Amino acid sequence: MDQATKHSIPRYIVLIVLSMMMIFPLIWMLLSSLKTGEEIFAIPLKWLPDTPQWGNFPGALELAPFGLYIYNSTVTALVIVVFQVVLACMMAYALTQLQFKGKNVLFNSILMTYMLPVAATYVPSYVIVAKLGLLDTLAGIIISNIASVFCIFMIRQAFMQVPKEMVEAARADGANDVAILWKVMIPMSKSSIFTVALISFVQMYNNYLWPSLIVKSQENYLVTVGLNQFFTAQGTFSSQWPMIMAANVLAVLPLLLLFIVLQKWFIKGISDNGLKG
Amino acid sequence: MSRLKTVGKLLFFIGIPMIPLAVFWFFPMFVSIWLSFTNWDYISPTFDYVGVENYTTTLTSADFYQALWNTALFAVMTIIPTIIIGLLLALLLRKGLKGETWFRAFLFSPWITPMVAMSIVWTWIYEPDVGLMNQVLGWFHLPQPDWLTDSDTAIWAIIIVTVWKNAGWAMLFYSDALSKIPNDLYEVSHLEGASGLQRIKTVVLPLVSPTTLFLAIVSAINAIQAYDQIQVMTQGGPSGSTRTLLYLYYQMAFEQFQMGQATALATIIVVFTMLLSLIMFYASKRWVHY
Repeated sequence: MDQATKHSIPRYIVLIVLSMMMIFPLIWMLLSSLKTGEEIFAIPLKWLPDTPQWGNFPGALELAPFGLYIYNSTVTALVIVVFQVVLACMMAYALTQLQFKGKNVLFNSILMTYMLPVAATYVPSYVIVAKLGLLDTLAGIIISNIASVFCIFMIRQAFMQVPKEMVEAARADGANDVAILWKVMIPMSKSSIFTVALISFVQMYNNYLWPSLIVKSQENYLVTVGLNQFFTAQGTFSSQWPMIMAANVLAVLPLLLLFIVLQKWFIKGISDNGLKG
Repeated sequence: MSRLKTVGKLLFFIGIPMIPLAVFWFFPMFVSIWLSFTNWDYISPTFDYVGVENYTTTLTSADFYQALWNTALFAVMTIIPTIIIGLLLALLLRKGLKGETWFRAFLFSPWITPMVAMSIVWTWIYEPDVGLMNQVLGWFHLPQPDWLTDSDTAIWAIIIVTVWKNAGWAMLFYSDALSKIPNDLYEVSHLEGASGLQRIKTVVLPLVSPTTLFLAIVSAINAIQAYDQIQVMTQGGPSGSTRTLLYLYYQMAFEQFQMGQATALATIIVVFTMLLSLIMFYASKRWVHY
């Protein structure tokens, strides 16, 4: 063992302990979902189930349509993200490439919005969604979420790094603004845009308060709303804890898989494009 | 002709993205302030102007001050540990350790998961009799509180969950800031015989201060907006001990339908947030090194 590795052994031990602590709630969720009602209440603690109760998963699915909830959440989040990214690209293009009066005012008012708690808009927004006749629909959730200040910022940041010469060259070739946006700006910033989309997707999939106000009927539940309803309904029966944990695993799994596959993008994206104060 | 073209261009690139932004951000902001001077109850079609009554009612109610205190406690006690743990993790993970990516993924993973799902898991962990937390505390003969049903501990239980979820996120920002510190700076301080701690104090802390400011502001805004974990774990209870300003606003607006009072509270929350951001910006001039 060389000197450098030896030197970092304490560092490894601390890191392993901390990593274990961070993912332990996830492991505990999985272990709990595989126990019987008796095992989960055992004193002293029983770490592992005697036989994994895989039946808890179909059991949870029988009690509530989590497949449908996950589908609702995924589709809603995807549609929102597509709108958010397209609109943000347009706005970011205007903010970085076009000259116009009031540009600073516009940018500053968007910046202000980023600092404000979105919940402060909920009462009027709720009325607007109701007036549009979109209460209790997924379209209501989608339409009220397609403006993303976060996306505008991040994409503006990426667009500012596109070399001026490339834009000028395209303009000299007679490209119009839509073509410059589509053929220069977006391709040059595609990794940033992908990361922004990914982060926004996770946020929309995990969104709870606003969707819980908009949707009322079970067939429109997002997974967060359905999960909490299930928890509230089943939580009073303590023997249902393994089922609740199984439902939790089902809800978290799509995101964890996404994270495992695209880990690099999340991490690289957040650190490369991080909004600097 | 070219003028017309410019206007058309601006309408396209700014006008279209502005529609949702205006309809669901700017316009509701102003309507919310306007509603705060009325006694609208959502159900009746008419309402009266009541002047500043909603504000005086709110600012003289005990619920408001309890929620204000809870929000301040929650914000301070989540921001400080999140930032300290985030920086420590980033420092530990530095310089091309073997398995760096794996550690980073593990440490960051809580941020990916839905707060609703994780709050349910933590509710189970906090279960007083058989929950993991109290069983572990029992091994070390430490006190085993009732966590979520005890008004002294409930807010701390929620703080722990929030810090757990956000620390890895703060770590990523610090990792990035640390990777941008020039190596010579380390070497110079090394030659001068600075110890590890001294080096952190004199080199690292000043150089990552813009990141610290950014994380402090964003975490403060997030703390003010915390809702999911409170809704799942305690619904603001027991006896209002976890009811933050935002949760109080939610209850007024969407449980009691007192829209006038709720929007007055929303306006107060917005003012607080703006003040907080401004204070941080100005205070930062003293200690942030760009």
